Amino acid sequence: MIDNLEKLHEEVTGRLERCASEEEIEQIRIDYLGRKGGKLTALMRGLRELPADQRPRAGQELNRRRGEIEGLLETRLDDLRRNRGRPMDQGPRLDVTLPGNRVERGRVHPLTRVTDEIIDVFTGMGFEIARGPDVEDDYHNFEALNIPRDHPARDMQDTFFVSDDHVLRTHTSPVQIRIMEQRRPPLQIIAPGAVYRHDDDATHSPVFHQVEGFMVDHDISFGDLKGVLTLFLEQIFQDEVRVRFRPSFFPFTEPSAEVDIGCILCRGARDAGNCRVCRGSGWLEILGSGMIDPNVFGFVGYDAEAFSGFAFGMGVERIAMLKYGMDDIRLFFQNDIRFLRQFPP
Amino acid sequence: MKLTFNWLMELVEFPDAAGRGSFGPEELAERLTHAGLEVEAVQPLADDAGAEVVEVRGVQPHPDADRLSVCEIHDDGHPLRIVCGAPNVRAGMKTAFLRVGSVLPSGQAIERRPIRGVASEGMLCSEKELGLSDDHRGIMELPGDAPAGVSLQDYLGLNDWMVEVSVTPNRGDCLSVLGLAREIAALTGGRLRAPAIPAHLRDHPPTIPVAVEILDPDLCPRYSARLIHGLRPAPAPPWLRFRLEACGIRSINHIVDVTNYVMLETGQPLHAFDAQSIASRRIVVRTAGESSTLTTLDGSERALHPDDLLICDGDIPAALAGVMGGAGSEVTDETESVLLESAHFDPLTIRRTAKRMGMHTEASHRFERGVDPEGTRYAMDRAVALWEEMGEARVVEGFADVYPGARRPPDITLRYASVKRALGVDLAPERIRGIIESLGIELKRSSEQDLVACPPSFRFDLTREADIVEELARIHGYDNIPATLPAVRMGAGQGDALLRWMRKTRSLLVTAGLSEVVTLPFCSPDMNRTFPGLWAGEGKAVRVTNPLRQETDEMRLSLLPGLVENLHDHAERRNESSMIFELNKVFSLAGGGGFTERINVAGLIRGRRPRRGMKVESRDFTFADMKGIVEDLLEGAGCADSRWTAEDAPSVLHPGRFASVAGGDGQLGHVGEISPRVREELDLPPCFLFELDFEAIVHYARPDFRVRPIPRFPSVERDLAIVVTADFPGQTVIDWVKRLDQALIERVNIFDEYTGAPISEGKKSLAYKVFYRSPERTLTDHEVNAVHEDLTRRLCAEFDATLR
Ligand SMILES: [Zn+2]
Repeated sequence: MIDNLEKLHEEVTGRLERCASEEEIEQIRIDYLGRKGGKLTALMRGLRELPADQRPRAGQELNRRRGEIEGLLETRLDDLRRNRGRPMDQGPRLDVTLPGNRVERGRVHPLTRVTDEIIDVFTGMGFEIARGPDVEDDYHNFEALNIPRDHPARDMQDTFFVSDDHVLRTHTSPVQIRIMEQRRPPLQIIAPGAVYRHDDDATHSPVFHQVEGFMVDHDISFGDLKGVLTLFLEQIFQDEVRVRFRPSFFPFTEPSAEVDIGCILCRGARDAGNCRVCRGSGWLEILGSGMIDPNVFGFVGYDAEAFSGFAFGMGVERIAMLKYGMDDIRLFFQNDIRFLRQFPP
Repeated sequence: MKLTFNWLMELVEFPDAAGRGSFGPEELAERLTHAGLEVEAVQPLADDAGAEVVEVRGVQPHPDADRLSVCEIHDDGHPLRIVCGAPNVRAGMKTAFLRVGSVLPSGQAIERRPIRGVASEGMLCSEKELGLSDDHRGIMELPGDAPAGVSLQDYLGLNDWMVEVSVTPNRGDCLSVLGLAREIAALTGGRLRAPAIPAHLRDHPPTIPVAVEILDPDLCPRYSARLIHGLRPAPAPPWLRFRLEACGIRSINHIVDVTNYVMLETGQPLHAFDAQSIASRRIVVRTAGESSTLTTLDGSERALHPDDLLICDGDIPAALAGVMGGAGSEVTDETESVLLESAHFDPLTIRRTAKRMGMHTEASHRFERGVDPEGTRYAMDRAVALWEEMGEARVVEGFADVYPGARRPPDITLRYASVKRALGVDLAPERIRGIIESLGIELKRSSEQDLVACPPSFRFDLTREADIVEELARIHGYDNIPATLPAVRMGAGQGDALLRWMRKTRSLLVTAGLSEVVTLPFCSPDMNRTFPGLWAGEGKAVRVTNPLRQETDEMRLSLLPGLVENLHDHAERRNESSMIFELNKVFSLAGGGGFTERINVAGLIRGRRPRRGMKVESRDFTFADMKGIVEDLLEGAGCADSRWTAEDAPSVLHPGRFASVAGGDGQLGHVGEISPRVREELDLPPCFLFELDFEAIVHYARPDFRVRPIPRFPSVERDLAIVVTADFPGQTVIDWVKRLDQALIERVNIFDEYTGAPISEGKKSLAYKVFYRSPERTLTDHEVNAVHEDLTRRLCAEFDATLR
């Protein structure tokens, strides 16, 4: 009987190794431990026919084996359930390296991506969004921004005219004026949009995009301008970016500052003389900014003694080109699908 | 503006931190850039090829070649024999010599080798060969006093750097070497070292060699002049010539060159008239008025505007004030004496004239930005002093100086509190006063709280407290102002509905497979006529007065021209499909001379729907694909009941394959296949288009809705197929059923359209699925059948349809 037990055990182990489903395991259980025809059950019944002195030992042995087989079944079942079983016997395995079935998706334009990133940084800081017309009158585009007619500062921006006193806005700054005409401080606003300059080459497009921003309240200082723009640049260029502010001139701000970031290609290395991005200077102009000129407050009827503020403007294309390592601005407007599809959906 | 590094360093002295008293061109660039004078370029003037100044001792004809000469020069006392082919070589001349072993900028090495049998021990060089200019008429002609044996590079002052500074329009005072030297002095605590004027010029008695009459003192606040005799045009000395050329000004002769040199040095434009041609000896400064033309010295006859300011010889116009001289009074080879003008003109007048005539000269550039009215005499005397150094010039006793428009710079009060408020940093009053004085600003008074300052005559840009604060920030250094973060007062305005809808729309279209494009809004009149967009009535295009390209001088009325333009790209056409959209502005003239702009959204699909993966079916796009995309878009915007009709066919779409969609109380736009006529006209492949008024969609969109309870009882479905005329709009049935308002009918769908046998010609079959449901109980077949039969009967009667 002991030999029989040993054989049974081997049988069960062999069958378990080959089986691949819960049903098969259940079948093994029925075949050996089943109440009616189970082989082990039959041996248990056979106990009665043994001499009385052998019964306890045989009984013990039977119980042990039964426990063992139950354990084996249980373990195998667990394995199967945890999907750790042997490969299925039916058919070959899937080639999981083959492509899945997908619907082709389109792409958002890179300028939209970058504009959205810029917007999100500023709205996160508490700025709201404003918009203005692309066809702008001379007053809002120039005059109220402290750029009078016949002033050399007008030469800084080559202008498209659509009538004697209307232009295609040369910057998004007129939105500042339009907002301040309608509202009182505190204001913290950004204004994204297209702007137009009479210019066309690898680094200039006749249409490009700016995000204008300004903040006006009591006691807003040049230090605040530095703080806000530094924070913004750290967010948009992520890893540690060097930022420098240097004096410049914009008719509608004073003091004015050009904001540069450390070159993202050569990182200002000493031997960067031929860097194609910064042309060896180690710095890249990224933003124009400054404290809003008291004359501008005069045009919108704010008391320059009571309020102060800063304003800034940045080129979306420029930021996108730096972020994505591009050197031809025209790619944005040629809409070659081979360019657009490089950006993840 | 361009200048040279050495020139600038000659005019300023300062001790730097290391006590060197100077710094290199790179450091100069850094310092100026940090002070708001951006240095755009620093370039060495010339590579030193190692040439030397030599004297040609003797010249013999070459024994074997007619055009060659054999010259003798002395090298440190040893005679050297050089073969030379230049026509101008002659004994006694000073020229440039390159010895054996040197290399020309072209890369050619100088070797000791026989030329037609005569060994040449070096080379006499032209300017072009040395890379100094394009002059290749002969070997270099150096002045007789050029010292033989010295380095040519040193002698010509070419161990120097061209420095290009971008001067912002507010800093006209920095359009000169002296102006920049002043800035360096302020930045370093150094001292200006302006070239001295000889005493005989400085202390001249004010006898007047020429009469000056200013008819409009507002336009010409000051006019100074001198008369110089014995000044015949000659080549300028090499050091001056090369300096000028390094600064981008062509050398002409020493008369003109000195006026240009002094203009670069002092910022004061000068003009030299041929004194003989000013016959009346009477300078009159007046506006053109009746005078109609003047021929300027570039040879063009200029039509005058009555407001143009003229310098006249008595009654005869002789120069366009501050812009360009006249041809009639130009310095020529016959000139023997010169009338030198050093004047101050009104910036606006000069700018208007220059703009009107399309002339932008070094003089007008400076006058437009403001020249120091106090500087006319210094500049004039500096020029005379240079001419005197160069030779036989004899200045005539006295000078003219008429100064009717003397201007007093304003007194400006600066409150220390304003500095703190504007910059966010506390500057000590001593520091503030120090900076102010370093800039040459006169400190009139100061107290505990404020000070009164009076800017120098050349700083037109300083008139207000804010201007002084800017100077403090600039000189103190932006780097030294700590960055702070302002407290933001919260508002409710940060959510932006339009932005949200735009993002959502883009996301929907991208998911549908379309890629966003951004096209330029300029458009040809033809394209605008073909694609008139969604404007009510006839949209009139906005015209650009000065377009970049004449053929696209209008602003687009529609986004479609930009999208179809993309199909002209060959690479794009090779693709199996195109799926693009644009969400952008379109423009039109409004009534009353105004302008209107709206945001539209438009899309284009062509070819087959792209799929990724294996064994995935791909099929050609149909009208239904394009309509489906627009339906998705409208559904995404919450436009619940948009209405589709085949009315108001836009001319760009196929008259039988288009739809108009309306929502709320107005048209939203069109969808359809491009019209065969437009296709042919523009040579386009077949494609489907849509254009919608995005602002109308946003206006009509309903962002909010209420949740309906989930039905508790099952629905029962019944199909219904009818045969109707082929042009019957299937939606009509759905709308009709809706109007019936039968309580048990939940909704109706169309699920098939069929034409062909056995349906007769001119008819089609439409299959509908009707969903019946009660909110109170499970419907029985019996109940539903009764309602459905009734519906079927009424429907057939209503639409003259037969059951299939
Ligand atoms: Zn770089």
